[in-house]
Amino acid sequence: MSFASYLLRRIGGLLLVLLVTSFLVFGLLYLAPGSPLAFILGPRGGSAAQIAAVTAQYHLNDPFVVRYIAWLGDVLHGDLGRSIVYRQPVADLLASRAGTTTALVALAAVIIAVVGIIAGTIAALRGGWVDQVVSTLSAIGLSTPVFVVGVALISLFAVGLGWFPTFGVGSGGLDTLWHLILPAIALSVASAAYLARITRAAVNEERGREHVQTATVRGLAPGLIVRRHVLRNSLIPITTVLGLTVATLIAGAVVVENVFALDGLGSLLVKAILQRDFAVVQAVVLVLVVAFVVVNAVVDVLYTFIDPRITLGSKR
Amino acid sequence: MVLRKTALGAAAVIAVAALALAGCSGSPKGQTSGPSELTLDLNHLAATTPTGTTPVDQVKWNLPYEPSLIDPIFTWNYAENTVTANMCESLVRLKPDLSQEPGLASKVEQPDDTTVIYTIREGVTFWDGNPLTAEDVAFSLQRQIGPDTKSYWADYFHNVASAEATGPLQVTVKLSKPDVLFTQAMGSAAGAIVEKAAVEAGGQAFGTPKGGLQCTGPYKLGAWDSGKSLTMDRNDAYWDSSVKPKVKQISFSFIADESTAINALRTGDVDGQFFYLPPAGLSQLQKSSNVTTTFGKSFVFWTLAAINKDGAMGDEKIRQALSLAIDRTALTKVVFQGAGIPAPTLAGPDMWGYGKDQFSSAYKKFGVAPDLEKAKKLVEEAGSPKTPIVLAVQGSSAVHEQTASVIQAAGQAIGLNVQTKVIPVEQFGNLYFDQTARKGLDGFFTTNYGDFADPLNVYSFFQSGNSHDYIGWDSADADIAKALQTSDDTARAKLVVGIQDKVTQGLPWIPLAYEPTTLIQNKRISGAVPSFAYLYSPWAVTIGGTK
Repeated sequence: MSFASYLLRRIGGLLLVLLVTSFLVFGLLYLAPGSPLAFILGPRGGSAAQIAAVTAQYHLNDPFVVRYIAWLGDVLHGDLGRSIVYRQPVADLLASRAGTTTALVALAAVIIAVVGIIAGTIAALRGGWVDQVVSTLSAIGLSTPVFVVGVALISLFAVGLGWFPTFGVGSGGLDTLWHLILPAIALSVASAAYLARITRAAVNEERGREHVQTATVRGLAPGLIVRRHVLRNSLIPITTVLGLTVATLIAGAVVVENVFALDGLGSLLVKAILQRDFAVVQAVVLVLVVAFVVVNAVVDVLYTFIDPRITLGSKR
Repeated sequence: MVLRKTALGAAAVIAVAALALAGCSGSPKGQTSGPSELTLDLNHLAATTPTGTTPVDQVKWNLPYEPSLIDPIFTWNYAENTVTANMCESLVRLKPDLSQEPGLASKVEQPDDTTVIYTIREGVTFWDGNPLTAEDVAFSLQRQIGPDTKSYWADYFHNVASAEATGPLQVTVKLSKPDVLFTQAMGSAAGAIVEKAAVEAGGQAFGTPKGGLQCTGPYKLGAWDSGKSLTMDRNDAYWDSSVKPKVKQISFSFIADESTAINALRTGDVDGQFFYLPPAGLSQLQKSSNVTTTFGKSFVFWTLAAINKDGAMGDEKIRQALSLAIDRTALTKVVFQGAGIPAPTLAGPDMWGYGKDQFSSAYKKFGVAPDLEKAKKLVEEAGSPKTPIVLAVQGSSAVHEQTASVIQAAGQAIGLNVQTKVIPVEQFGNLYFDQTARKGLDGFFTTNYGDFADPLNVYSFFQSGNSHDYIGWDSADADIAKALQTSDDTARAKLVVGIQDKVTQGLPWIPLAYEPTTLIQNKRISGAVPSFAYLYSPWAVTIGGTK
């Protein structure tokens, strides 16, 4: 399949998924009890007349279908709507937070890939006590809640040693990188542990394959065998897991964002859901779906480089 | 998002009941073995901290959450007002000792009960250089008048018929009937003055990160990076030349997680923060050698509001019994780590802005000692109801949960079945005015405050028809109506003392504790105003470096 037709198919699928998810999310939010009234009226509340006026102004009592179609119409015109709570265009809210999330997830992805793959490979190749240590550490990493990791990192490296700041995203560039190191580590611990296990299993499996044994018997250099025959073939499951993990990190960073007081999409989404801020919830969900699909497409493209036998869109 | 009345922020679990004290304004009880207890004396709460002496380039201050909007008419909450207090000045200024003095109005005259004439201060300019005119003042008030206003302060403008510029520097307010709260409310953000032209140009965006703000204060809005930070810069053209702020820029962060905020304070990543309820990590802060802790005078109180007329709490005897069974001294010690004062009434001594002697002698007859025998008798008289009393508890708030436990224990001791139901923070605010949100609930906890030193400000909540009067309690209607029209202080104090008796007897809200402001400052700075005035008047102009 050519790249163009692959892209076309992907975009078609994406649009369909976007339509279905937006409908589902809107519907579920509509069914859930609660309302954003408190945030429109302010803490002093309002009289019955004021509540009725606001309800009408924001169409809070309109039937579900009417509200959904109105929202869909706006989105098709490129208008994501206004946040009821922040009284700002949703696009502005997203723009200022997307950067933080992107930087955090990218940094975490690098840590996950580097640590996970190296630790898994070493564990599989060395075996023995190294394998034991990696397995134990990854078990601990997998079972420790992100919240605990975050608080521990802050206590140790920020409060105790003073090497890193305790919160925030800094002022851009290197400062931001410095600010995001602890949160990225906290975010990546569990996923890196998981990836280490996957890598270890994949490498062990590849090592037992016939072509590797053949290469070993032929006396090829062990380093070459590992690089060319073992690792390269293990990369398919590793890439798959890495892709899925990164995609889920985008929304899954809420806890880390709260602990380190970062303004990411995750915490925006959770707050908006609880505040019934429909337009914000919808917009963030759309962004997440797009990100998920894009990451998966990138993984697909990577497959073709890792294993030339795989073509875009094929079902291996 | 936080609503002003909700006890948000106290998030993590309080691990210690009593704590070691190294504070400055609390008086430590005898240093016996083990951790000493922090007990606060109402008479020794701070109004100021030592003025900082050296210039500082930037002070980093934390807010418990990001303000949603900073147009003064939409600010009636902790973070919003902490920010606007330094930027948007009011006609009347709230002083650190919680009394009031002339603000943007150099003179206030009341030729009769329904007319207020404000003489606008000469030579005041907005940040953009335009002079402050009577038009701006009239406009700032007009946008809060009438049934269609969206102002959060609309309650104070109920009896205002009109506000007109009657001279280049004179604004006349006509009241439809006398209202002693209106003139005092001009010392809160309700009386904050914005530039007419800027509001009209900004439209819906005014007060948002995009639309900016235009006021007269000693600090002007710098950059507001939605989600990250809000900075304000010193206004070097400030009209009051006697005020010389030493800090060039103040940068606000929005750390909502309390333990993160405490860590940032301990390390110096932020220089200060106001807490309206003592944070769970108070003891860590007090042990830290980097910060000072000050407890300031405050109007904030912690209370249990009855919300179901038809449930057990709809019965006055049950409310009285429950109130008698609560050990408020233990409550302030355990829940507020000693940084709270047991409250027999809703309006505490810091609210006695006039008639101090009258309020003080009236206050003496109330006590906070529990009386279980009397409480049990009251429960019997009420027919020993077996239906459970369900209290709404705000999610992820230690103060809410722990107070609920104390009330549960109190109820158990006198044969009442008290249960709790957790409501998420984001939905808790709906309880204040949404009937359907209150369904199945008998009461909820709330921090609340008056906006100026007049107990009537709080007690007027219980005039029937007021949105705070959830159970239709109406035993003081006539007195409240009369007091609202009584401008003579002595006469009003007498009336309000009577109202206080009735409210404290009828308990539409059960008073629990008075909450001083907790101010944390890094030792490199000093001078922030630690009292409740931080919400309505410039609290940062006295900050400076200590070295």
